[in-house]
Amino acid sequence: MVFTSAALFVRARGPDEFWRKRRVFKLAAHFHGRPRNVYTFAVRAVHRALVYATKGRKLKKLDMAELWKTRVSASAEQYGVSFDAFKNSLLKSNILLNKKMLADLAIWEPRSFEALAQLSRERAVVEGMPGIQERSVMNQVYGLKNLLKK
Amino acid sequence: MSILKRTQQWATFARTWHIYDCTWQNPFDSAKVVKNHLMGLHKPIYHPMNDCGDHVVLINTGEIALPGDEWIKRVYFHHTGYPGGASWTLAWQLHEKDPTMVMKKAVYAAMKGNLQRRHTMQRLHLFPDDKVPEEILGNVTSQIKQTRVVPKRLDHIDKETLENFPAIMDYPKDYVLR
Repeated sequence: MVFTSAALFVRARGPDEFWRKRRVFKLAAHFHGRPRNVYTFAVRAVHRALVYATKGRKLKKLDMAELWKTRVSASAEQYGVSFDAFKNSLLKSNILLNKKMLADLAIWEPRSFEALAQLSRERAVVEGMPGIQERSVMNQVYGLKNLLKK
Repeated sequence: MSILKRTQQWATFARTWHIYDCTWQNPFDSAKVVKNHLMGLHKPIYHPMNDCGDHVVLINTGEIALPGDEWIKRVYFHHTGYPGGASWTLAWQLHEKDPTMVMKKAVYAAMKGNLQRRHTMQRLHLFPDDKVPEEILGNVTSQIKQTRVVPKRLDHIDKETLENFPAIMDYPKDYVLR
């Protein structure tokens, strides 16, 4: 192709019209009604869908983080520890599990989670965190009786 | 699926029945706790699309304690849909008409308005006093902890305990107690 001017270069878009449209229709294949079959509508709908997809990549991560937080706090509350106290005491005990892993443990390995909850409870008492006073009976079992302040 | 796994599945997704005593409780604080159990937010398997909510039986809703002067300040709005169909009812008036209504509306308002809310409310059972039908009470296996301690009222303490209670001082003989 020979471009005699910059204006003509801008006008010459891509390859064949059929293939250019096909690229859009492929992305619109699962739409409903005219946005699926009519190019003018399809191109707008695809554009909007791609914007949603871009935003969705961020939102999906936020949604999952929120869900994990709900799950972990629900499990921690069963053992009388609030989410913040639980997370803080684990951090102080140098247990660096993230919310996803804690949520997975709570669902699939409730006993492991219970051990973590008891440990965090002990740590919270030792560190003097507000709201938790009594040390649990389990400290005998897990050998946490001699847990010391760092 | 083995028998053990099947049982585990049933046990995980079975609906538990909780009971909550509303005596002297703030309905709006209690609603937050009750909501968690109704929606299944107290379970590690919670998911918005997972139908894991439990049943909650609220007893003694007639004995709730609204904070401050809420009984005379809180207003419930209703509109019939016809012109001039608006009506405003004070909390104490509503409570006189139906002793379960304030608590019910508190729980309803504590939940986010979506299509699931009305179905979740079906799992809430309210009773103005402690008379609960046998078929409902038979299902109950768990009790939800009250949000505040029920204070002991002076007129509910028996006379003997009151008289034997150690006093700091005795009133003078000519002291007039109003």
